[in-house]
Amino acid sequence: MLAAGGINNSIVVVVLASGIVYGTPLLYAALGELLAERSGVLNLGVEGMMLVGAVMGFWAVQRSDSLAVAIVVAAVAGAAMALIHAFLVVTLRANQIVSGLALTIFAGAAGLSSYLGNDLNLADQPANHSFAPFLPHSWRSAKVVGPILFDQTWLVYASWVCVIVVALYLTRTRPGLNLRAVGESPAAADAMGIDVTRYRYLHTLAGGAFAGVGGACFSLAITPQWVDGLTAGSGWIAIALVIFAFWRPGLCLIGAYFFGAFSGIPFTFQARGILTGIPPELFQALPYVMTVLVLVAVSSAGARRRLGAPGALGLPYSREER
Amino acid sequence: MPAAVTLRGITKRFPGVVANDHVDFEAAEGEVHALLGENGAGKSTLSNILTGLYRPDEGEILIRGTPVAFASPREALGAGICMVHQHFRLVAPFTVAENVILGDHRGEGKKFVVHPRRVERRVAELGERYRLAVDPRARIWQLSLGEQQRVEILKALYREAQILILDEPTAVLTPQEADSLFETLRVMAGEGRTIVFISHKLHEVAAVSDRVTVLRGGKNVATVSTKETTPHSLASLMVGRDVAATTRIVWEREAGAPVLEVEDLWAVGDRGDDAVRGVSLSVRAGEIVAIAGVAGNGQRELAEAVTGMRPASRGSLKVDGAPLRLGDARAAIRAGVAHVPEDRLHTGVAPSLPIASNVVLKSYRNRDVSYGPLLRLATIRDRAAELILRYDVRGGRPSLPARQLSGGNLQKVVLAREFYGRPRVLVVASPTRGLDVAAIETVHGYLREAAANGVGVLLISEDLDEIMALADRIAVLYEGAIVGERPGGEATADELGLLMAGAHAA
Amino acid sequence: MIRIERRLTQPRWLTFVVPLASIAFAFVVMTVVLLITGHAPLHTFRLLIDNAFGSVDALNASFVAATPLIFTGLCVAVAFRMQLFNIGGEGQLYMGAIFGAAAGIALGNHSGWLSVPAMVLAGAAGGAALALIPAVLRAYLNTNEIITSLMLNYVAALVLNYLIFDSESYWRDTSSATAKVFPQGKNLPPAANWPSTSLGQLVLPLGLLVGVAVAVLVWFLYNRTRFGFEVQVIGDSPRAAGYAGMRTRRMILAVMALSGAVAGIGGASQDGDFRHTLDPRGLSSALYGYTGIVVAALGRYNPFAVCVIAFLLGGLQNAGYALQGADFPSGLVGVLQGLILFCALGGEVLIRHRIRIQLRRPAAEATEATA
Repeated sequence: MLAAGGINNSIVVVVLASGIVYGTPLLYAALGELLAERSGVLNLGVEGMMLVGAVMGFWAVQRSDSLAVAIVVAAVAGAAMALIHAFLVVTLRANQIVSGLALTIFAGAAGLSSYLGNDLNLADQPANHSFAPFLPHSWRSAKVVGPILFDQTWLVYASWVCVIVVALYLTRTRPGLNLRAVGESPAAADAMGIDVTRYRYLHTLAGGAFAGVGGACFSLAITPQWVDGLTAGSGWIAIALVIFAFWRPGLCLIGAYFFGAFSGIPFTFQARGILTGIPPELFQALPYVMTVLVLVAVSSAGARRRLGAPGALGLPYSREER
Repeated sequence: MPAAVTLRGITKRFPGVVANDHVDFEAAEGEVHALLGENGAGKSTLSNILTGLYRPDEGEILIRGTPVAFASPREALGAGICMVHQHFRLVAPFTVAENVILGDHRGEGKKFVVHPRRVERRVAELGERYRLAVDPRARIWQLSLGEQQRVEILKALYREAQILILDEPTAVLTPQEADSLFETLRVMAGEGRTIVFISHKLHEVAAVSDRVTVLRGGKNVATVSTKETTPHSLASLMVGRDVAATTRIVWEREAGAPVLEVEDLWAVGDRGDDAVRGVSLSVRAGEIVAIAGVAGNGQRELAEAVTGMRPASRGSLKVDGAPLRLGDARAAIRAGVAHVPEDRLHTGVAPSLPIASNVVLKSYRNRDVSYGPLLRLATIRDRAAELILRYDVRGGRPSLPARQLSGGNLQKVVLAREFYGRPRVLVVASPTRGLDVAAIETVHGYLREAAANGVGVLLISEDLDEIMALADRIAVLYEGAIVGERPGGEATADELGLLMAGAHAA
Repeated sequence: MIRIERRLTQPRWLTFVVPLASIAFAFVVMTVVLLITGHAPLHTFRLLIDNAFGSVDALNASFVAATPLIFTGLCVAVAFRMQLFNIGGEGQLYMGAIFGAAAGIALGNHSGWLSVPAMVLAGAAGGAALALIPAVLRAYLNTNEIITSLMLNYVAALVLNYLIFDSESYWRDTSSATAKVFPQGKNLPPAANWPSTSLGQLVLPLGLLVGVAVAVLVWFLYNRTRFGFEVQVIGDSPRAAGYAGMRTRRMILAVMALSGAVAGIGGASQDGDFRHTLDPRGLSSALYGYTGIVVAALGRYNPFAVCVIAFLLGGLQNAGYALQGADFPSGLVGVLQGLILFCALGGEVLIRHRIRIQLRRPAAEATEATA
């Protein structure tokens, strides 16, 4: 046991474990954004949707005392925000970038999430319930895998299921095939009788729901309480993550934990007094810099086709435009 | 027995135009029915209505006598109607098999879990039976345009479509490939399917169809049996007046010194492969040299490399004997190389900018148009007004965005600008694609006039009729290389067609 | 079933009526939100307007709030005219603030009036330098500038933090013991404080005047010069630009640099006009860059309209800030801004398209049911 304690306290194990904790909200949000982008809708409003999910999820747990209800409420709240975006960009064909940013301003910190949080008096309340590790103590203290894999909450295990489900959905199912066709070539999909509008709406909404759950990870597990702007830019990292993962769910998982670890590293290092010569900003900047590098790598049209960027991403589709 | 398809009084309006004006149309089972008309006559709109992409503002559709109203392509597909669009509706990163099962709701397509592999054998079978060979596992972007068209037809066959509409299917084929397509279509009609064949080419219509419906200006002007008609009478119906078939006008000119000399030119295409492979040719002053070939054999890349829009990887260019820097459009413009590009709306002009800006698109740096870094806006406006008048640009005024002009008038703006610079060489790519007969004649007139004025014209076109009517010499481009050259007056369509298919003449 | 058709011509009156109508519509929606959450809408709006534009003090504070928004709004508009989406105004403003502060500190108190123009130039250089990163990637490697410029905002914010909180940099005040424990930036020398202009009781910060001057310059550049002509052509059709022999790559670099420079001057103005030190917390909490995107979109990328909208939104932000706490719902200004932008985006569609609402015919429904 002593040996286990030693290893389990080692820097690698601690960083990996915190990577999973901080990576989980990123993973949910990125999976959602991935679904939206695969349908051709770029939604830069992830941060806003996460924050509304966080505040509504927290409100629900305070009201209902049920974490399950709270997650559902967070998902619905995120989807409701995504609905605004979907209406503007799919039906009205507004510019996706501006609409997404508008959504972040509307819903984000100093916007609707803060309005709701203050109006519902959620600030400075301790959470009635929160997600906590639930596996038996003997598992959680197992060597290496204990703290990394078993000392986690339901949210983490559910996210793994989501990754598998989304991956199978995209590659193996008929709606998944249709979805990819809609994102690649809406005109082709439309000609073959696939309802482009419906697919784009549904997946943008699904994206919002995932983002809402991602936000709830903060208010129901990590923090766990409501603070204005508690996601602290995770939504933007999630957008970066989708690109970083080449629009693939499995790589999203790896990338999320990677990015999550980087956001935790500075604190861990500081606490242990190692590598103090390196400014913490260096680690924090890495996810952004790496995303830029990945973007450069997928820049050529050929690479994009092979690596999976949806061909019609960001473009409105209209059947009768002449 | 009711007809397979009946359209009655179909009307469709778009902002500013009536694309279909009370059109009646009827096609029987087992019939190849041609829909003939000039560009802009409303053929595509009518077929898009039939496939549920557009909804008619008025009129009714009957399938085997039953009235239907398609709210979406899905419903039309359900009624057994499939269409091969001019611009293919294929998902480029998908395999052939994945494209074939896309949106299908029967058999393999009904299951929630898809197995494209299981479809592959059926696709291969169909390909063999109808002579439409294509590898079911290939990804679309790896295929040639001709192969992509086969995939589109396979999609219809896989879905057991009873009514197949093809929109200008021969544009991407050699004459020989087109003949093979016609055979496939006859086989399909023989099995009781209905084929609607959209075209503006008379000889194709005569070769493949049982009956012809002629559209003009959005209206149905006649439906006749192909046997009882002649290409000449069809042409008159299509254009609305008696027309002579495009004939070759021979006139005496003195071909001068070479103005454009291309030597072993190589250029890389958009896919990263060599699209132009060692082209050498020369054009003399007052001469029209044509480049024939099937679409996608490097024509666009050749035009772009010669005019400096595309960097050339090897070779040399000379204009009037002076070497020209490769890949520098500005240098080419200065040297007197004018260019009428294939995509006139997005390359030939900046579509949202006013005609005035487009008239000085290439000359805005010149002394007479700008004063140091400042533009002379009044001069620009005046020049636009002058050119609109001189070239008879209908509906044009200097402040009108270029995109609001019709194709023919837009082409006049492009030609006006290119001639204004007093070019030595004129590179024209598919200058009449999508234009009506009157506009085609106008454009051809301007090209002849340019040659008469001593300009060396390099005409790149996929339209053999156009080439044979205009060219002094004809070179054939196949897979980026010139595979043969013939004098304009002596070449035959058969001979050129074989060259275009890559059969090297011994 | 909603159908949208492109208008052939855009009636002129629509371009004025639609934005006004969308702002009015946004207020209507906001009223509903306020009623649902139990606030008195009229009272709230009254407070908002009073604190934004209702008095000399309110107006002066609104000028202060509007100044950075003019720069970040112009930053977005300048790039968007060539269909480049520079959403890195936030980071470019930080870099401008860093460079501007460096120039101010370096010149000290001896160079007199030189300090102000030097700070403007340094700020412009800083913003341009950061904007050139996405510009080079876009021009030479065809990398989408939207996400790269967005990512660099965070990198710039971290640089800003590093300079003041995690290092003993040139910008950090290390003169006293307290300053070592509670990190803050050096105070700029008095010569680096930008003079303001008084107009009766109104006080116009120098940055505001510079911003309006930049707007005039941008308008002139884009509407009267060869440079502007190239920007218009490239923005409309890059292929046509290549066909006309324009040097598209160079223009991408130039326009992005210009765009970044404008945001950078905004950063220098923050140092010189208002903060008189390099202030990471203050700069990054205000989200000037992102609000600038709203400003530019609402102003339909017209430089003069950007100035007007910046003033209106600056007023709202200032009012929201002044009214914080008490019985004023927090987050209201953000919600209102978002709503206005949503409505304006919807309105944009009305200007360009005609909307027809069609009822499905029963026959169509019957066939769909069987399909």
